[in-house]
Amino acid sequence: MAKTYQYCVAENWGKGFIDHVESSRITFKGYPADVWQVPAYNKHGNLWIAKVGGVVKTVAEAQAIVDAEVQAAQAVWDALPDAEKAPALEMNTRPTDITLEE
Amino acid sequence: MAEYKGIHGTKVQDYTTDPDNPITGQVWYNETANTLKVESATTVGAWSTGGALNTARRQVASSSVGSQTAALCFGGDGPPVYALTEAYNGTSWTEVNDLNVARRFIQGAGTQTSALAAGGVPTTAATESWNGTSWTEVGDLNTARGYGSGVGADNTAALVFGGEVPDRAITELWNGSAWTEVANMNTGRQQLAGAGTSTSGIAISGATDTGATIVANAETWNGSAWTEVADLNAGRIDLGGTGTDSTSALGFGGANPGGAAALATNEEWNGSSWSETTNLNTARRQVGGAGTTTAGLAFAGEAATGVTAVTEEWNGAGAPQVRTITTD
Repeated sequence: MAKTYQYCVAENWGKGFIDHVESSRITFKGYPADVWQVPAYNKHGNLWIAKVGGVVKTVAEAQAIVDAEVQAAQAVWDALPDAEKAPALEMNTRPTDITLEE
Repeated sequence: MAEYKGIHGTKVQDYTTDPDNPITGQVWYNETANTLKVESATTVGAWSTGGALNTARRQVASSSVGSQTAALCFGGDGPPVYALTEAYNGTSWTEVNDLNVARRFIQGAGTQTSALAAGGVPTTAATESWNGTSWTEVGDLNTARGYGSGVGADNTAALVFGGEVPDRAITELWNGSAWTEVANMNTGRQQLAGAGTSTSGIAISGATDTGATIVANAETWNGSAWTEVADLNAGRIDLGGTGTDSTSALGFGGANPGGAAALATNEEWNGSSWSETTNLNTARRQVGGAGTTTAGLAFAGEAATGVTAVTEEWNGAGAPQVRTITTD
């Protein structure tokens, strides 16, 4: 099955990491641990990955990286005292699992 | 075939760097990059990355009026609760003088050189005024609150509305020296966004019931009364807002109640309806906002695994941009 998205790991350095023209041409989606989703088989997506020095990952590899980050955050949350886990107003909730799309 | 000079009366000029202030439609050759370029306008709004805050945090307040290149971010939570203030210059954030009292979910208003921090959590009525350099304590709100929203042109004219108080509809007007209760919102709410000024503003979505039940609609303020207007396509809490008045605003990010993941959703208000537009690149809730619907800013917030320092710059359709002309 042809994939819809491709993934890479690239550190967001701030201004210029994603510029306006790039953002208007393709859809970016940022995930934990500097994992970025861009369209697959897309010239502009490929050019952006090259620009930022992104390290391309398979979906499984990217999923493992995201899972590790989420699980670490969940462990931190689990270790909080009960009193800090439930202030509903702040939505201070346990980080949820993330499933990357093919 | 007509030549460029025949149409425009000028030749395509060579530059070693792109010109500083090109006019729309101007074409030039960048001899350093060996590329032909044109000054054009964007056809769709989109978010690009900006400089990161020095301190990642959520639940910040902001100066909601002003340019994308001059914003102020103050207070918030890591934890701990912060008194930190940072100023953005269009490229990077710089730490400036702290609030006198650390707090989060502050109702903020104003500009980078003239702002107001009203109330916040731990629940307080304290108000501080920013003169571009430092914060000074001024008159308290009549009703202590956090989780509400604030709008205003500067530190002499602001409006605070909503929040986690028994009557979430209470609205207060600041005249530079004191707060006065004015007309209530039609639907009290908390964890909403706001945009505009104290004479032409908008309250965007939020929730009742201590954050449990979404209020999807928006209300506009004309200086004396609130009017209920159209629903957002996706009502939510803890979203950010930008916009100059009651006829143009953005509502971005946020979350659904019940511990759902942070959202990247972005909607634009044109004075009569909300339309979904380009999402944030990084989903987040409890996000700060500044600027306008043509040049906005989103910063801070809580992303999927914790607080974030990431800043994103919004350029709406029609914004000027330099594009490279390619022939293949």
